[in-house]
Amino acid sequence: MIEEIRAKAADLLRSGEVKCFIGYERASDGLTARPFFAYSADEADRLIFDGTCVHNLARYLPDMRGKRVGILAKPCDSRSINVLIREGQVEREEVYIVGVVCDGVYRTTWGKPSLELQPRCLYCSKRTPVVYDYLIGQPPPAPESRHPASISEVEALERKPAAERWEFWRSHFARCIRCNACRQICPACYCPQCFSDQLDPLWTGIRIGLPQNWVWNVGRALHLAGRCVDCEECQRACPMGIPLAILNRKLASRVKELFGFEAGMDPRAPFPFATFENEEEIL
Amino acid sequence: MKFLSNGNLRGWLESLMGMGSLIAPVDLEPGLTLFSQVRDPGEVNLEYEITPIPPKDLFFPSSEALFRFSPSRGYEIPRIEGETFLLGVHPCDALGIRLMDFPFLSPPADPRYEERRRRTTIIGLGCVKARPECFCTSFGIGPLDPSNADAFLVPVPGGFLVEAKTGKGARALASAKLEEASIPIPKPPEVSAIDVEAVRKVALSLFDSPYWGRLADRCLSCKVCAYVCPSCYCFDIRDYPTRDGAERVRSWDSCQSPLFTRQASGYDPRQTKASRLRNRFYHKFSYFPDEFGAFGCTGCGRCVRYCPVNIDIRETLSAILRGEARIA
Repeated sequence: MIEEIRAKAADLLRSGEVKCFIGYERASDGLTARPFFAYSADEADRLIFDGTCVHNLARYLPDMRGKRVGILAKPCDSRSINVLIREGQVEREEVYIVGVVCDGVYRTTWGKPSLELQPRCLYCSKRTPVVYDYLIGQPPPAPESRHPASISEVEALERKPAAERWEFWRSHFARCIRCNACRQICPACYCPQCFSDQLDPLWTGIRIGLPQNWVWNVGRALHLAGRCVDCEECQRACPMGIPLAILNRKLASRVKELFGFEAGMDPRAPFPFATFENEEEIL
Repeated sequence: MKFLSNGNLRGWLESLMGMGSLIAPVDLEPGLTLFSQVRDPGEVNLEYEITPIPPKDLFFPSSEALFRFSPSRGYEIPRIEGETFLLGVHPCDALGIRLMDFPFLSPPADPRYEERRRRTTIIGLGCVKARPECFCTSFGIGPLDPSNADAFLVPVPGGFLVEAKTGKGARALASAKLEEASIPIPKPPEVSAIDVEAVRKVALSLFDSPYWGRLADRCLSCKVCAYVCPSCYCFDIRDYPTRDGAERVRSWDSCQSPLFTRQASGYDPRQTKASRLRNRFYHKFSYFPDEFGAFGCTGCGRCVRYCPVNIDIRETLSAILRGEARIA
C-alpha cells in the first residue's frame, strides 16, 4: 500500500499534474505519523500510511488555494473534502484525491503508540473514501460499518441528570486554555475571522475564563453542526483533555434525525442550515 | 542532604497546607496531571510524568483582572494575598520560572508577578526518568539539578533526599520530620543535549531560508506550543465591561496567532504562517538571549509532545546545525 502511495504521488509530481502532494511521513518519535508535504518525486519516498496517520489532511486544502495539489484521503478526510467543495472553499479541479481504504486509526499521541482504535473509527460507517480520483486498497464488502459494543459516550452522558451533565461540562470548560488548537486543526474551521477573534461585538475576546470558555466551546460545536465529519481531530489536539467529540457527535446525530443529513457524504445534498424552502416546517 | 521518608511526607504536606496554599501535581483525569491547589495530601502525585501546563500560570495567570473601575466603587486593584508552596517542580520548570523573571522582574518590574513570586516558595523535584522529548541538558541544567528552586527533593527508595537551597526553602522544610541521609544521590537519567550556542551563532544568517516556509506547511497556527511553554510570556490586554464599570484584563497570547501583530492600521508585519513560526524560534534562540543573556527555552519538550502536527523544536535546531535550513 505504501509503495503504491509513493509511486502515485511521485507520478503526479513528476508529470506536473500537482505542485504538492499532501500525505504523511514518520513523526520525530519514529513511531507515529505527521502531515507531510512532498514537492518532488524524490520527496514522495518519505510518504507512509498506517494506523498512526490520524490527521485530517483536508484541513490544509484551504491554505493551498490556487495551487493544484494532490492529497491522500482516508474516508473521514474525503468527507471533509466534500464539505469544503460544497462550501466553496476548494475547487474540485484543483485537487487530485488519492483515496485510501481505511481500517481505522489508533489512539496515538506523540511518543506513545497504541493499537487501540480511536472511538471515531468505531462509529465510522465508511471504510472507502466517498470521493477520489484514484483508489488505493481493496474496498471491503458492504455493509462497511463497525458497531461499538458498548453504549456511546453521548448516550452514557445523556442518561445522567441535568445537574451532573452541567458539572461535567463546567469542569471541562473551566480547564480550557483557549489555545485554539481545536479550531486550527478543524477542516471545517476556515473562517477568515472567527467569532471568537471578533472585537465588535465581543463574543469572547482574549479573556480565558469560564464564561468565555463556555461561549467558545459551545459556539464552536454549534457552528459545526451538519458540517463536522467526526474526525475527532479537535479532541486529539486538545492539550487539556476536553472531550469535544461528545458535543460534535450529539449535534451530528440531531442533524441526522431532523434532516436525514450526514456531513460530506453526498457533495450534492443541500445543507440543512443553508437551505430555505417555502412552507418549510418550523422546528 | 537529609532524608524525608514516604511515611513522613503526609505530615509535612499537612503542615505546609497550614502555612499557606499548597500547589502540586494532581491527577485530574486519566492521563491528565495539572498543578492544582491541594485539598488533601493524598491527591499529590510526585511520580507524575508531565503537566501540559507548566507552573508559570501561578505567577502569570492565563487571565487576570489588573484593576477594576466603576462610578460607585472607584478604582480597585484586586489584592494578592497569602503564601503559596509550589511543590513538585521539575528542574526544567524551575528554570522556566527563572526565565520568566527576566521580562517580568527587569525594571520596571511587573507588580503582580513580583508580588506572587515573593509569596511563593518553590520546592523542586528531581527527575528519576527522562521522557523521550527531554533536552534540558542543553541549557546548563539536568534531571537532578536543584538550581532555581528554594528547596529540592530527589526521589529515592522509601522517600526523598531533601535539601534547602534558600532561607524560604529552609522555612518550608522546618516542619518536616527529616532523618540523616544514608542513601547516596542517584545517578541522573541520560538526557541528550543540543549545542544551542552554535545554533545561536548561525541563526540570523538563516532568517530568509525557505526552510521556514516548508516547516510552516504543516503548522496549524494554533497556540499550543506557546501556552504549554514554561518560558513563553506574551500577553494581550483588553477592557471587559462589569455590571457598572469595567475591568482591565490581561490574558495569555502568542506570536503564533494571526492577530498577534496586526496593527490598528490593518497592516501585519508577520502575515505568513512561516514568519510567525520562525519568530518562535528566533525569540527563544536569538532575541531573548540577546536581551537577557539566557536562552528562552528550558528543554522540557512540552511543545514537542503537545504539538498536534509534531513541529519538533529539536529537529529545527538540528536542521540549523546541519546546515539543512539553508536549502535553496
